[in-house]
Amino acid sequence: MMSEVLVIIPAYNEEENIERVVGNLEANYPELDYVVVNDGSKDSTAELCRKNGYNLLDLPVNLGLAGGFQAGLKYAWLRHYSYAVQFDGDGQHRPEYIEAMRKKMEEGYDIVIGSRFVTEKKPRSMRMLGSNLIAVAIRLTTGVRLKDPTSGMRMFSRKMIEEFALGLNYGPEPDTVSYLIKQGARVAEVQVAMDERIAGVSYLNPVNAAKYMSKMLFSILLIQNFRKRDRRYKKKAGGEEK
Amino acid sequence: MTTVLRVVLILMSLLVLIIMLRKIRQSKARIEDSMFWVFFALLLVVFSVFPQAADWLSALVGTMSTSNFIFLLMIFLLLVKSFSMSMRISQLETKVKELVQWIAIDKNRRESDAADIEQRGPETKPEKNGLGEKESEQ
Repeated sequence: MMSEVLVIIPAYNEEENIERVVGNLEANYPELDYVVVNDGSKDSTAELCRKNGYNLLDLPVNLGLAGGFQAGLKYAWLRHYSYAVQFDGDGQHRPEYIEAMRKKMEEGYDIVIGSRFVTEKKPRSMRMLGSNLIAVAIRLTTGVRLKDPTSGMRMFSRKMIEEFALGLNYGPEPDTVSYLIKQGARVAEVQVAMDERIAGVSYLNPVNAAKYMSKMLFSILLIQNFRKRDRRYKKKAGGEEK
Repeated sequence: MTTVLRVVLILMSLLVLIIMLRKIRQSKARIEDSMFWVFFALLLVVFSVFPQAADWLSALVGTMSTSNFIFLLMIFLLLVKSFSMSMRISQLETKVKELVQWIAIDKNRRESDAADIEQRGPETKPEKNGLGEKESEQ
């Protein structure tokens, strides 16, 4: 039996984490299907996956997170999965929350964000200042309050999978979420806990964080307002409950 | 325009033309891509050989001197070129991304097919399996 949910695990140079993350999924959550997207890693991520017989999409060159995740969504779309969830290869995300997110999806949402701050309070730090700025930008353009827009754990519905898999400028980032909310997509948040990354280096240093922030703010506040949506998706999203 | 500027422009244009034609001879550039540069070079030759044309255009636009007009024109043409190149890079990156993603998906399918056959064993390959069943039915 194929599961309803596909867990997409983008991995770039995650040789220290990938066996722990996928091993945990296989051992404790056999009801979930998963696919590891090796984004042209320079280390032995792909070899480890082959050795263990993991389900692997092996990108021959590095595309970056957006391109790698989109490859996973193309796979989900081809195999007719109902839901796809973005799941970090570094062990930050915990699979026990996937079921709660799927339940939330069944209430008719298009995107469910695994949010760290639905019931928990947001700590005061530089990182959270950035998160707040993005939240304000989204609120200004859409009127919707998102508590954790930068969370990397997001679940997408079947019609979102199709749109993300085939579209251009559908990176798994807050600006796309903001655009889709404006287009009538329904977005919900579910409280999750996240772990600190155990091994390997985070991509998030101050310079990259500043770049990311300015790109997101520029995109949400300005560029996304000028996008034209494919008519195919316009009919499908949002219109159903009205 | 001074004679020196005219000579410089002509020499530069000839250089561009020679380089471009050589690239095409060596099959290193497509004819479509050479068109812009050949056109660019010829335009400068025309202005250098007939400076009256440039003077007239310069007066029309209202630039202080003809050389200023030539600079402005070059900047403008290069901007247009860099814009069209930026568009092409965007499209190329999208195409490369699509190719990489589909290659990975195809490879995954082939690998999982191979694993299936290995698991079932060679004697139960689909076509043999079909034959075997027919025999047992009889």
